[in-house]
Amino acid sequence: MDNMGVFLQIIFWGLYAGCIYILLATGLNLIFGVMKTVNFAHGEFLMLGAYITATIFFLTGINPYLIILLSMLALIGIGAVVERFCFRPILGTGKLNEIFLSIGLIYIFQNGAAMIWTDEWQSVKSPYDGITIPVGSLFVPLDYILIMVFTAAILCGLYLFLNRTTIGMQMRATSQNRKGAMLVGINVERIDIISFGMGCSLAAAAGTLWIVSGQIFNPYMGSIPAIKAFAIIILGGLGSIPGAIIGGLLMGLAENGAAFLLGGIWKDAISFVILIIVLVVRPTGLFGEKGE
Amino acid sequence: MKYPVIFIAILLITAFFAGCTQQQATAAPGVIKIGVIASLTGPASNVGTNMWQSAQVAADKVNADGGVTLKDGSKAQLKLIVGDDESTQQGGQKAATKLITDDKVDILVGGYSSAVTSAYEQTIAEYKIPYIVTGASSPIITHRTDIDTSYIFHHCPTTDTYGQYTTMFIDQVVRPAVNKKLGASADRPFRLALLYQDTAFGKGIQTAVNDTIVKNNLKIILISQQSFRMGESDFRTQLTAIKATNPDAVYLGAFPNEGAPIITQARRDIGLNTIFLNAENNDNAQFYKDVGQYGEGAIIESRFSPYTAPAGAVADSQNMFKQSYFTRFGAYPDMMGASTYEGVFIAAKAIANAGTTDKATVRQALVDLKMPQIIEVMKDQTISFSPDFRESTFDLWMEQLSYNATLGETRPVIVWPDNLKTTDFTLPSWYMAGSSS
Repeated sequence: MDNMGVFLQIIFWGLYAGCIYILLATGLNLIFGVMKTVNFAHGEFLMLGAYITATIFFLTGINPYLIILLSMLALIGIGAVVERFCFRPILGTGKLNEIFLSIGLIYIFQNGAAMIWTDEWQSVKSPYDGITIPVGSLFVPLDYILIMVFTAAILCGLYLFLNRTTIGMQMRATSQNRKGAMLVGINVERIDIISFGMGCSLAAAAGTLWIVSGQIFNPYMGSIPAIKAFAIIILGGLGSIPGAIIGGLLMGLAENGAAFLLGGIWKDAISFVILIIVLVVRPTGLFGEKGE
Repeated sequence: MKYPVIFIAILLITAFFAGCTQQQATAAPGVIKIGVIASLTGPASNVGTNMWQSAQVAADKVNADGGVTLKDGSKAQLKLIVGDDESTQQGGQKAATKLITDDKVDILVGGYSSAVTSAYEQTIAEYKIPYIVTGASSPIITHRTDIDTSYIFHHCPTTDTYGQYTTMFIDQVVRPAVNKKLGASADRPFRLALLYQDTAFGKGIQTAVNDTIVKNNLKIILISQQSFRMGESDFRTQLTAIKATNPDAVYLGAFPNEGAPIITQARRDIGLNTIFLNAENNDNAQFYKDVGQYGEGAIIESRFSPYTAPAGAVADSQNMFKQSYFTRFGAYPDMMGASTYEGVFIAAKAIANAGTTDKATVRQALVDLKMPQIIEVMKDQTISFSPDFRESTFDLWMEQLSYNATLGETRPVIVWPDNLKTTDFTLPSWYMAGSSS
């Protein structure tokens, strides 16, 4: 493999990692945009999505790419319950309550998952495992192409939902001005529950695509990605969906570039170096607006 | 009126529970309390659970054989108390402190991950309690000079030892085989890449390989040395960088939950079809399952395996231990389980030799210990601790994996050294050497 081939391969791994980050951060941003709620337990929804997909796959052998829809639906339900019984009672009572609530949820979900599924590392074998498509000097595994296609499809679906449906427009209105939305008759509590559920379902999609790529998983898998998702939404701009997409891609590329050029231990650190630079130069993030 | 009543109630409840704690802290006559520090939760829980279960099998055996005879002729039974280090340094600190101060154990056994174990060595030094470390393999465990490690005894090979063994195996076995395949001259330098966890464990392997090459003037060049964060799951970028350097083999300083995905991603996603050499902690049933077909041809440095045993004296005792473990837990023990199993026997023997549970006397008994090997092959067939750093010395071996399509898992065979091997090392048909020059 020549230098250009290596460079392209690193870019490709960055794009793949970026896809996972985009889905996770977009979900987080959807929730923050509408509810202005800080949920540090968002990575646990990625973990639950991964386990639900894996469990259905182990029990039925159905193609995991098809299970992604079931997993997303399940997480909409779980997210709705969490919003209704955990976040809604403390909504508007202060960020500290939200932070401690979400930290509590992290422990509950992690230990609950460990009780149900044990905390052994597990893996799922994709039906397309081992199939690679040569593109120039690159080895391109089919699974990674599918992951990128699924990410793009989910984002297109989200775009259409937010722009072409009444509920989507109500979510945008609530995001822009919550009191104004209430004044024009939008049931913002209903919008909250839908937003939270959809945000969780995007995390479930990220979890599913994580495991079909052949990465191992256990109940603690969500912690680090959740921290990175927060860095991404601050980088892209709080509440900005395009910001989450661009931020996710940047993060994936930066991490893999740093691991190649500086060494693997810089993989996580580089995300926060970029975050600090962006906050110093542009405190609202790349796509954020003043006041958010 | 209401508040004084509540206050008194709280005092009474506190006093009741304080009494309970005191009662628990007092050792029952005829009982030796052994604290086992293991990672029951967190990323290393697979290995940690195996260590804890192996300790239970050992204690059952000691107790079934009558227990430990003390100086006054009385018999004492072993009672194990586990401390979960949660695979973290903070968790390790909590577990060690609780076992020593609350449970008042007589001796400690266990400890996995050098980073975790070294974090609570200060507590061991402070309370001066004998500790037989059976899982953390960095030499810093007993070599460090910033604290008093005189109560710590190391019953597992250090990264210095197995890094050296693996490098010598590469030089004596893999290098000639690759040269033969390439039709190259015998003095062609071997192109070795390292991919290691950025911790004391991984860096220990890196240092050992570098030192062994220099010290023995080996014809091995390190063409790439890549690191990764502990617990990482995506290694594709580092593997892409390694592949670009055309290695003849890749030595991994990784835990089982890292080693299996590294090999899978390397062969499946990167097309890096080479020999992967793994450290001994990967000799674990979960690893054989997770690595699957991609583990074909890989090497594990080892001293105990769930699926094979060396030719010679310890085969029967290893099989008995595996059978006892399987009967009780429905699975097979791994390497860290084996040394923890032995750790309990060593603790019992030291207390028997000391005739008391007095910490300083037991420590001296460990210093003076000479007992026959149990299930692992020891130098001179004897378990004893070196006078300088209190390390026991093992005879190690190298295993090569082959894929069993029926099981959907790999299985090992011992290929080195000559006195322990059951077959010869072979290069797989798909193997791609770095370059012929």
